Amino acid sequence: MNGIFSYSDDRETSSAAKVRALEALLIEKGVIGSDSVDTVLRHFETVAGPFNGAKIVARAWVDPAYKARLIEDTPAAIAELDLPAGMTGAEGEHMAAVANSADVHNLIICTLCSCYPWPVLGLPPYWYKDPVFRARGVREPRAVLSEFGVTVPETKAVKVWDSSAQIRWFVVPERPANTEGMSEEALAALVTPESMMGVALVAAPQA
Amino acid sequence: MKLQHHLGGLENLGPVNLDTRVFAQPWEQRIFGIHTAMMAESAHLDNALPRYAIKALPTTFRSNWTWASLRTGAEGMQPFEYFKFRYYEKWLGGISQFFIDAGYITAQELAEKTALYRSEPDSPLPHRPNAALDAQIDAYLQQGDSPRHSNQQAARLKPGQRVRIADPEAVDHTRLPGYLRNKTGTVDLIYPDHYAYFVSTGVDGIGEPMPVYRIAFEAADIWGPGKSEANTTIYADLFDAYVAAVA
Repeated sequence: MNGIFSYSDDRETSSAAKVRALEALLIEKGVIGSDSVDTVLRHFETVAGPFNGAKIVARAWVDPAYKARLIEDTPAAIAELDLPAGMTGAEGEHMAAVANSADVHNLIICTLCSCYPWPVLGLPPYWYKDPVFRARGVREPRAVLSEFGVTVPETKAVKVWDSSAQIRWFVVPERPANTEGMSEEALAALVTPESMMGVALVAAPQA
Repeated sequence: MKLQHHLGGLENLGPVNLDTRVFAQPWEQRIFGIHTAMMAESAHLDNALPRYAIKALPTTFRSNWTWASLRTGAEGMQPFEYFKFRYYEKWLGGISQFFIDAGYITAQELAEKTALYRSEPDSPLPHRPNAALDAQIDAYLQQGDSPRHSNQQAARLKPGQRVRIADPEAVDHTRLPGYLRNKTGTVDLIYPDHYAYFVSTGVDGIGEPMPVYRIAFEAADIWGPGKSEANTTIYADLFDAYVAAVA
């Protein structure tokens, strides 16, 4: 992560052995079962993940009335879609969507930890958990966005959403040009987790 | 002032990390899974919304384990250590220490078992399936642990009202971002009902159900005019205890 600290040469093998030892001891002592960790991880492959968020965004792009409902009452609008059971589950008990537009660019952050809307986005990527993003995202969001390759002109408002209580935020990015007539499924395939946190735009499909 | 409470706004840190991976190493998945299994069998869920039959669960785990536990640990780290270790390295250190301190395992057991897996990395884990716990993990992940408590009382503040953010004593844990302390903002929204927090944070002020406000801050009101980017608004959801009306 940073060159100014010294790390042992076997940093990763040491952690790998320690976490396996911890899991083994917890299983032996009946704290967890031998399938508990895999049960957790399976949830993030089958139930909760950015594949849900992408479907929500694609629906919002093709149906402006749905998009309005999504911003007004996010859980109710999510419940309209045919998504896996659990969209109000862990770290999604209270989610809220904000929409990018010609006038507004939204950025999601958690300066105190790493709050993230699990059901619709899955687990947070490293950039989001990194102290540098968390420190700079609220102080110089436009500079941070430009490091991600997103230039926001001063005429466009930047709104930064710091997740410090119950709400878990996500962004409905702008629909890219040249996507008229594309199916919802094809549109969903364009949507990245980064675009739903506000550090990327959705790229137009390659011609 | 505790650094981890004041990360927002810290300068001179260099470029952002652009790594889009969730896990930098395969082992990180295991500590994430252990933490989440602990949250799913946390004793406090017995009294949560929705209620889970935690006391009937076949597990030897009888502690409370919530996000507050993990966050309190991270906020208590020496700041150099906090910056030194990668995200899931901090989890591994904190969770291992919790199990030692709470008496579930000993430091010696962990050291010996770690040595075993260092010399035999492919040595299997014990085989002791626990179907009831797997079902509880799925139930917790799908139904969650909402802090919302119904309350029809009129809120003390009104949308559009100017407010000043409190500056409570820095204790073990807070949900008040440090960069907002003593700053002035505007009530943007009052969330319906009241919201509890996993634990009481003591003189910091949260824990019992209370209103939560979405407060809008102009960047210049936080960082100072000429020291902030133009046309930028920061929104934060703040518990009632953190917000005072401007007289």
